[in-house]
Amino acid sequence: MSLAVAVTGAGAVIEGVQDSRRLPADSALVIGPDGSVPLGHLPEAVRARALRAERVTQLVLAAGGRALAAAGIDAAAAPETRAGIVVGTAFGCFLTNAAYQRRLAAEGAAGASPRLFAATVSNAAAGELAIAYRLAGPAVTVTAGGASGLVALGEAVEVLRAGRADVVVAGGADALGRALADWVAAAELAFGRPLAEAAAVLVLERPGRVRSELGRIAGHASGFEPDPAGPTAGEGLAGAIAAACADAGLSPREIAAVASATPPPLAPLEARALVATLEGRRPRPVMPFGGAFGATGPLGLLAALAEAEPGAPVLVLDVCPSGQVAALVAWAREAA
Amino acid sequence: MITGCGVVSPLGTGLRPFWEGLVAGRSAVQPIAGFPADDLEPRAAAEVRDVPRTDPDRAGAFALEAATQALADAALDPASVDSRRLAVALGTTLGGMQLFERWLDGDAVDGVERVPYYAPAVRVARRFGCRGPVATPQLACASGTQAIALAADWVRTGRADVVLAGGADLLCRFVVAGFNCLRATAEEARPFDAARRGLVLGEGGAVVVVEEAGHAARRRARLRGSVLGVGAAADATHMTAPDREGRGAARAIEAALADADVMPARIGFVSAHGTGTPYNDAMEAVAITRVFGPRNVPVNSIKGAIGHTLGAAGAFEAILCLQVLAEGLVPPTVGLATLDAACAGLDLVYGEPRPHAANAAVSTSSGFAGVNAALVLGRAG
Repeated sequence: MSLAVAVTGAGAVIEGVQDSRRLPADSALVIGPDGSVPLGHLPEAVRARALRAERVTQLVLAAGGRALAAAGIDAAAAPETRAGIVVGTAFGCFLTNAAYQRRLAAEGAAGASPRLFAATVSNAAAGELAIAYRLAGPAVTVTAGGASGLVALGEAVEVLRAGRADVVVAGGADALGRALADWVAAAELAFGRPLAEAAAVLVLERPGRVRSELGRIAGHASGFEPDPAGPTAGEGLAGAIAAACADAGLSPREIAAVASATPPPLAPLEARALVATLEGRRPRPVMPFGGAFGATGPLGLLAALAEAEPGAPVLVLDVCPSGQVAALVAWAREAA
Repeated sequence: MITGCGVVSPLGTGLRPFWEGLVAGRSAVQPIAGFPADDLEPRAAAEVRDVPRTDPDRAGAFALEAATQALADAALDPASVDSRRLAVALGTTLGGMQLFERWLDGDAVDGVERVPYYAPAVRVARRFGCRGPVATPQLACASGTQAIALAADWVRTGRADVVLAGGADLLCRFVVAGFNCLRATAEEARPFDAARRGLVLGEGGAVVVVEEAGHAARRRARLRGSVLGVGAAADATHMTAPDREGRGAARAIEAALADADVMPARIGFVSAHGTGTPYNDAMEAVAITRVFGPRNVPVNSIKGAIGHTLGAAGAFEAILCLQVLAEGLVPPTVGLATLDAACAGLDLVYGEPRPHAANAAVSTSSGFAGVNAALVLGRAG
């Protein structure tokens, strides 16, 4: 059994159609009817950075700022070298890539925009968050398709376990726009529900140094399904579930609830994995938020922390139509 | 443990042509021939010439070829590995960008699902039937270094027995026009030279087999070296310009040394990021001198030879380190003729290769958004 890490702050940005009451108190921010990302809660210097930034960065700064404030962490004056960042994103700078490439295609090399090109890296959001809050520890961005957010949370747990940081700001984010929606349709990716944009960011710390916590992440694992729509798919997810439970020091028998972010078309894969690992038991479902790519898994975790019985182990799952899968074991803390 | 290496480089396909080209001090930089470049200025780059452009998912093709080579070099049949313990960590900064250019232009494109950054890793994982972790680090030009760090962490924490780890990136109009418009490029890369003007882009794929020590021992695998430590740190100062004091890069190297429990004095070679831009090289000179002291350890950069291969660069440079340790020879820094006084704290190898026996090496990478990552690599045996 490995170290369980404490969740000491949470922030989420969701669309107006999603139900913010399913998230932990004071964590949710809602995108405006005009599509604007809520930034009013941020310190002025951070808000100024966010206003100049591309959309994934805005989402991460908005959610990250809320999470850091909840954890009682202010923007530092000096670089905080023991504070790290792990961001998961399925598509990262896809929309910026499209904007930059359209001008290049239309106008030739003269149309290449330095401002846009500099943001055609998926780690732009992590970099802006690092600069805004002077977080100078490891800053990692990872993509594992739709499972990116849960994979990022798992890697953040490892940063803390390895002692490479005392605090890690971690979660998932993806922005939605016309070019990405068109591509998802062209690539025939089976998400099976309306697409949404969102960010969900948590502050994770080693227990023992924290004042209060929302809950703990006790175990995690990720895996892959070479043929996710195939008739026997599920072995990769079953492996991840078993490994996440072992990492948490639990038997799969002890799982009390499941928060599944798996796209509905991949339900057969998930069902086979759950039968193989939970031995036919059907733990109580926690309803997560769907269709938000890299943010979906972390939103599922936040919903579980808000809704699950305190102390009862919840299994959070996500599966990408491209094959990446992730499982995480967490529980909510009882109110102090 | 690292038990296999695979290389698709502008100096040739395979570990041997790559290494022999580096030792001979050859440059693969030429005028761009693979796509229309008339309006691009500069228009020199290090292209992979022996892989045709017929596969529109060029980075994925590089990754697959390098991974296949690495498995062959490791004498490892992936079907003999428990599929749940077989993993892929592959960095890229462009992924399916050539497909994306055409799709956005309205062309009917086969394989449009291979556009995202995660696609090369997925392609490799499907080919070899992986069911373990499959992830794509996104640390801009440090992605290949972080991929090998992630692989080493997975093996160390018992999450995988065998990881195909490295990076792949391609040349296309998107990226060449982009670095040109930032005024970051030159016709020739001259790392650490007083007359350096900018970087030259390159492309390719580099993959290593990172294998759990017991797994490698049981099948009596030949060892190519080991990952002794990994580290990462953010500058937290500026999105595109490196911290002039090199504090983030120095912290990443120090973190990797601490992770390896190795003193700086035991490091016998440093592979610099060495892009050939005025700011990067000056920053690195400060960072490396800060960690190792002045002129204490031989340093080189291979970006004058194969260009800046972006998300693949750190993987190429990790393989370079293993070769330096195995062969006792440091290849020269192609493009360097007159050492910049601002980099005088570095013992740069240039002109001729230098015989030099060492047991451990450091590879360091930095990238956009202030990311820094470093590896400590050990000699086999």
